[in-house]
Amino acid sequence: MTEWLDDFLVRSVIAGLIMVAIAAPMGCLMVWQRLAFLSDTLGHAAVLGVALGLLLEVKPLFGVLAVALLIVFSLSRVSSFNSALSETTLAIISHTGLAGGIILVGLLPAHTVNLEAILFGDLLATTRTDLIGLLLTTILLLFLLMHHWRSFVAVSVSREIAQAEGIKVRKVQFLMYIMIALLVAVMMKVMGVLLIAAMLVIPTSSARLFSRNPEQMVLISGLYGLGALAGGVTSSFHFDWQTGPAIVVCATVLLLLTLAITHLKKPDLD
Amino acid sequence: MRADLLLRAHKLGYTQGKRLILDDISFELKRAQITTIIGPNGAGKSTLTNIVNGLIDNFNGEVERMPGLRIGYLPQKVYVNRLMPLSVDRLLQLTQPASEEEIVYALMQTEVGYLRRRQVHSLSEGELKRVLLARTTLGKPDLLVLDEPTAGVDVSGEIRMYELIGELRDQLQCAVLLVSHDLHLVMSQTDQVLCLNRHLCCSGLPDSVSQHPEYLALFGQQTADSIAIYAHHHDHEHDVSGDHAEHRHD
Repeated sequence: MTEWLDDFLVRSVIAGLIMVAIAAPMGCLMVWQRLAFLSDTLGHAAVLGVALGLLLEVKPLFGVLAVALLIVFSLSRVSSFNSALSETTLAIISHTGLAGGIILVGLLPAHTVNLEAILFGDLLATTRTDLIGLLLTTILLLFLLMHHWRSFVAVSVSREIAQAEGIKVRKVQFLMYIMIALLVAVMMKVMGVLLIAAMLVIPTSSARLFSRNPEQMVLISGLYGLGALAGGVTSSFHFDWQTGPAIVVCATVLLLLTLAITHLKKPDLD
Repeated sequence: MRADLLLRAHKLGYTQGKRLILDDISFELKRAQITTIIGPNGAGKSTLTNIVNGLIDNFNGEVERMPGLRIGYLPQKVYVNRLMPLSVDRLLQLTQPASEEEIVYALMQTEVGYLRRRQVHSLSEGELKRVLLARTTLGKPDLLVLDEPTAGVDVSGEIRMYELIGELRDQLQCAVLLVSHDLHLVMSQTDQVLCLNRHLCCSGLPDSVSQHPEYLALFGQQTADSIAIYAHHHDHEHDVSGDHAEHRHD
């Protein structure tokens, strides 16, 4: 019944579609809450997670998830109600994680780990198991997003108003962190740890140019994500480019085109 | 709690590190009453409103709220991230959904119905304040907490803003807690004044507060004259740090 999944291209396209579906809303929220850098941090530190997973002989994904959750737990303890996460703190964690991970990877036997796939993703090597994990996590994340959407948006606009009017801001924030950790663990396979943030930020930046409302921006960035995915997978297939980087470059090309068009037309958003 | 009593604060205190921000403050907020907190910069006005609206929870003393108390909050400053598109009608539904009619009605009440489809980023400060004030009225609030609703608004706009707040109180029959610098403008709309300088210097009806020596010590004779004629006599004064200082008789 699922023979169609035997085709690696079909599997990778499905994985890409799932990623786009979750990257759009998560990316928007992270841009609004200035958390995009956190995904970068978790991405870099994920290298450490992969290496630990391999050393401890568990699935690398669990290593990544463990490290990401550890980081967000500690961050949520040090971040206060009003202040955003300090960029310095994030940079320290990010690069320490990456450096430590690379050292550990060097200690492992060469054939056990494909560093390039970790760093830049390996969409075309998506297995059925990967696909199931990706799908289940995405469903969970989409469910949480829909359930708490108004709170997430309210917190993005004003934590003070949200808190005063009955939204538990700290809980919402903590949930957001955990969701970002899950997202990074999932996107790593497709985009690679170094390029996760790109997929969260670039389509959303294109979408911002047209949108008048938060919800609209999510939909439009989903469309831009689709465009980037289509372009990326196609060029990857035809020119033998690495898929993750190809998707990112396509996303940026779309952004530049959009900027050029909007600049020429000078639309009045108000 | 009595039916018209929405919130009772008893001996509130708050310290930040070693700094005493608020000390021994008690008051009540009642339905359909406007309470104005006045006081100099650093008097703890925003801290006090943040205790009332639940943003600060590590204070001393007690706050007793009517069960299910619904608050509408207008913060002193709202910065919406420019990366976030936000129209006025979406902003009005920030913490609860509202129908189109409710949104139109709320905006009409603060005389900004024409802004409904605009982007929040394109509003002037005065327009944004009125939109945010309209937002607080949605969802049948029992208490409006308005932290300097007229900051950044010109003087004529300021007077109108206070009138609007009075009208909203009449319509919604809600309590209003207002932080303000200018008692002389708020006074006609105010039922209760809390004159704050870390402790409660004086409180009561606007007329009596404007004649109170501690009020005069904080705001000076001129401001007081614009409110009422009074008989002058001090019992103590404040030094720059806000502590009680020995009164020097001349």
